[in-house]
Amino acid sequence: MTTTTTERLSAKEIRNYTFKAGLSRTEGGLMELVSEVYTSILGGLTLLTMAGALIVALRHSLGVGNESALLATAVAPGFHSVTLLQASATVLLTLAAGLLSLEMTMGPVAMTLPQTAWWLGLPVRRRGFIQPGFLKSMLWPTIAAVIVVLPLSLGMASSPTPGRLALAVLCGAGLAWLLYGIASWCQITGSGAWLKKVMGVITLLAPLTLVATALYNNVAGSHASTGAQTAWLKYLPTSWPLLVADGATWPLLIVALALGLLTLVYVNLERITTAALKKSAAAGAYAASSLLSMDATELSRSLSTGPATGTSNVRLPMIFKRGTVHARSIKTLASTHATMALRSPSTLLRVLVLAAIPASLASVEFLGNAILIAVALYLCAHFAATALGATARFANGNPAVDTLMPLPATTVRRVHYVVPAVAMTIWAPVCFGLLLALGVGSPPLLILAILAGPGLGAATLRAGFKPAPDWNMPAVASPTGPIPTGAIKSFLSGPDLSLIVLLPVLICLISGGVPSIAFPIQLTLTWLAFLWGTHVRKPKSAKQAGGLFGTPPATARQ
Amino acid sequence: MLLEVYTSKVMSKRTSPTGNTSKPSPMAQRKDVVRAEKLQAGYAGEAVCGVVSFSLHSAQALALVGPNGAGKSTVVKTLVGQLEPVSGTTLINGAEVDDRTLDFRREVAVVFDDDAFFPSLTVEEHLAIVSAGHGVDDVEAVIADELEFFGLSALAKSRPYNLSSGQRRRMLLAAAFVRPRSLLVLDEPEQRLDTAMRHKLATRLRAEVDAGLALLVVTHDPDFLSTVATKAIFISDTIHAMTPTQAATAIASENPHAD
Repeated sequence: MTTTTTERLSAKEIRNYTFKAGLSRTEGGLMELVSEVYTSILGGLTLLTMAGALIVALRHSLGVGNESALLATAVAPGFHSVTLLQASATVLLTLAAGLLSLEMTMGPVAMTLPQTAWWLGLPVRRRGFIQPGFLKSMLWPTIAAVIVVLPLSLGMASSPTPGRLALAVLCGAGLAWLLYGIASWCQITGSGAWLKKVMGVITLLAPLTLVATALYNNVAGSHASTGAQTAWLKYLPTSWPLLVADGATWPLLIVALALGLLTLVYVNLERITTAALKKSAAAGAYAASSLLSMDATELSRSLSTGPATGTSNVRLPMIFKRGTVHARSIKTLASTHATMALRSPSTLLRVLVLAAIPASLASVEFLGNAILIAVALYLCAHFAATALGATARFANGNPAVDTLMPLPATTVRRVHYVVPAVAMTIWAPVCFGLLLALGVGSPPLLILAILAGPGLGAATLRAGFKPAPDWNMPAVASPTGPIPTGAIKSFLSGPDLSLIVLLPVLICLISGGVPSIAFPIQLTLTWLAFLWGTHVRKPKSAKQAGGLFGTPPATARQ
Repeated sequence: MLLEVYTSKVMSKRTSPTGNTSKPSPMAQRKDVVRAEKLQAGYAGEAVCGVVSFSLHSAQALALVGPNGAGKSTVVKTLVGQLEPVSGTTLINGAEVDDRTLDFRREVAVVFDDDAFFPSLTVEEHLAIVSAGHGVDDVEAVIADELEFFGLSALAKSRPYNLSSGQRRRMLLAAAFVRPRSLLVLDEPEQRLDTAMRHKLATRLRAEVDAGLALLVVTHDPDFLSTVATKAIFISDTIHAMTPTQAATAIASENPHAD
């Protein structure tokens, strides 16, 4: 039986105890994390050094100008870029919409799932648990505002002075605080679902307007859109920091507005329901696991709508009557994978949008640096490839699914390869075709990219079937809580193969030409990637002489 | 560490204990602890089951029974304020349900199947947070007693993710017993417990109910129900009030009209 005193611990004491007790037993260190991936880091650095040397040699042999490869532009001469104002305003609008959407999903007043489960039921003032998260979470949008607004103001201001730049940054911070305040108020009142949907659409569509405008400008010639036609964009509230950088002061009213709203939120913090805090905690946990799996679709979903729900009418034939049992099983499995892919049209749309992002960069003249586009290409290709890996990840988490058909494990793994390989082989010409339309690259580079497509499908499998981090290993303290050693190694599984497969394409893009030797090299890498990606790891128990009770290992019986 | 902070705080400012709060306070005795009136539970305004009306006094145990998916857990989550009701009202100790109030958190202990733990804290540290957070007088002794009752003494220094799912379930249940409570809400407490533990828990719960606790429990176990409940509601396509014996027979046969 329990007896109580009138004396209870405060929320602050409970918070401090939870953090300190956890860290007091941390058994690993940062070096343990680093040391286990040093071979990967060394390998990556060697790969980049070799790629750099190849680029320099290739540029020299192709006679492509004398400028440094670091400064080389990928955009063809005579290209009609979008205006600087349109580019800046679009970037600010996209980032602001993305920030608001993200904040509305993650909280913005956030706690972790264990915190909501073990703290919120205690009879102590909830403000002590909620307020620190509210104040800390304000820091990130503020930092983001400074990082984004400062360079844009420097680039856009007619006569930038330190004072004007400081005021522009303050205006940007005010904008970020206002968005944070709006998201917080929506969390407190349980409203704003429509606002989140609108922000999601803006985030997805705004970057595409840059590609569309650039394509139009290059077709329209003298009728291309002018600075005067896009001048209205600087009066969008998200562009106000640019006005301040040019000397206007009235947009600074946004700071007062933001502070007023934040005060209102601060006073009402304790009105946030337990259900709302648990919902945002679940969203945070989902986003963290998506980030660990490097899956763009899951990450994007976790930051917008949450786990996929709903129904689909897509039906493909799954029962086949012709052919051997082996052939029919393969057809059924392939059809199942295709059905799963087609039942997620939003994933396919995101893959298509990822194909357009490098072109969005290229459409802005000052962003048309070859290395910048190459980095964007790599990231977009990898995110597109992992977005197609939902079936593989599901099978990795539920291995029994892959044993339903009477097929050897290697065959099943190769069937997994079909959908991502086909999709990435289609993705490559879409992405490089858009770039080519904007004067970036050449037809041979487009063909090289198509040859790399099936290799990216293999990267999908490597990322999808990556081994999970071993949570029994010593944990290492991090600002977000303990993480197990082995997490980085697991994290890099997938991005490494994407980089290796794309290397010939990226080197040729930066070099500005495609030598004929690049084609056989690309084909070889794609073939090796296929073998690597579809390789089935033997489980630890099967690596020993025999399986359980001396029976042959499971894989040997297949 | 928490215990040291807490002990020094209590010793320096000690006031007389408020007494054993697992017994109902005189104010709560003979009064409705829970009163649900025409309550309909569901998600996003869409009901998942029929209308429920009942009252639960101190020293009573109400079992909600019925087939999977009938909406029992949804009803319970609505009763404790974790979900908005589609219609109707719930009062706990005469006040509208609001889990943000101190009174609610002081009086109501809820155990759902939430598998969320601080990965770096041990079993006893989790329990210490709850116990000290509720101002329990002798935290160390209370935790030791509950660890022993739930068979976790040897695992006190273990971390939750090194426990089996059944042991984690015991830990969650222990967390409800290391703190004072006048209403205990359990959602399928028998889940993942072995037969001996189920019996032990049921016997203890019955003793606490007899001593004045109000218990609201969702269960699929006829033996658990027979031991613990003083009354029952069968939730299916329709809602039926039953005796515990009728309910035990009904869930054994999935027939709400069984005698």
